[in-house]
Amino acid sequence: MILTGQEIIKNTKDGKIKIDPFHEGCATTNSYDLKLGTNYIRYTSEILDPKTESQFISSPIPPEGLTLDKGDFILASSEEKVGSDHFVPLIHAKSGIARLGLFIHVTADLIDIGSYGNVTFQLYATLPVTIYPGMAIAQATFWVPKGEIKLYDGKYQGSDGPQPSRIHMDKT
Amino acid sequence: MILTGSEIQTAFANGDIMISPFEAELVNPNSYNYRLGTSIKKWVGQKNGQNVFESIILPKDGYVLDPHIMYLGNTYETIGSDQYAMSLIGRSSLGRLGLFLQISANLGHTTSCHKWTLEIVATRPIRIYPQMKIGQVSFWENKGDLLPSTFTYANYNEPQESILIPGMERIL
Repeated sequence: MILTGQEIIKNTKDGKIKIDPFHEGCATTNSYDLKLGTNYIRYTSEILDPKTESQFISSPIPPEGLTLDKGDFILASSEEKVGSDHFVPLIHAKSGIARLGLFIHVTADLIDIGSYGNVTFQLYATLPVTIYPGMAIAQATFWVPKGEIKLYDGKYQGSDGPQPSRIHMDKT
Repeated sequence: MILTGSEIQTAFANGDIMISPFEAELVNPNSYNYRLGTSIKKWVGQKNGQNVFESIILPKDGYVLDPHIMYLGNTYETIGSDQYAMSLIGRSSLGRLGLFLQISANLGHTTSCHKWTLEIVATRPIRIYPQMKIGQVSFWENKGDLLPSTFTYANYNEPQESILIPGMERIL
């Protein structure tokens, strides 16, 4: 079951969903709109290798906008910190963003229950596109889980701003 | 409703979910980490209007994917369920490296059970390894009666390119 916008508002007030900052007006029929934060990350390693830590540079997204070329890939984050110990969040692009050919995640839409922090957006442009800090770029939906809940306690917990991959920390 | 990790383990134990081989440590709060298989296919062009793919055995020390080229891979595990619908996605640690694991076709039909074909596209050069933990599958409760599936790709365990039905001029 997916939560309606009204249910998202109710559960945020009850503390079962955490969205900070929270504005009721950002709730839609079935989701909550997420805004783009102020920083982005671009990898500088020529070849990304999951077994070694990738090099990257972190920069602010200027108020006058950051233009991505077709084929560009960067990481950015939500302005809001988002999470829930009671529902499973999924992340989606706003349809208006998708219609500009911009992916906001690269096949990783599922957030672990118990995870809390800024959502890292995986931005991939299929057309030239300009992004602005504070723009509504994504939406989160919340889904009812079935079964005993064991909360996320992984390597991205408490993310502040965009977080590069930490896959090199995997044991195997 | 989406199954929690504990519920995935319970459903695996009582036969409602098939994951083979299954490792308890690959269970997440609301999904299961699947591994990449041992070979992939690289799109190398077209011949007589047909896509041509070249098979590549993944070396132990990894293989670098060219960006913006289509590859097909598969899951190392056989995954399926007669009880639940599935969503097969990438891990966030790989999404953060710009690696697509499917091309907006995440849905796994209830009753299908096989080694899933992955549609792999790198947005930057990236090294991948055989049997690396590369994606996640989540399980979702159904509402309503189940129609027997005629979905033929469930018969394939190797990375399988798209099949055009002769005379029907449509893609399965």
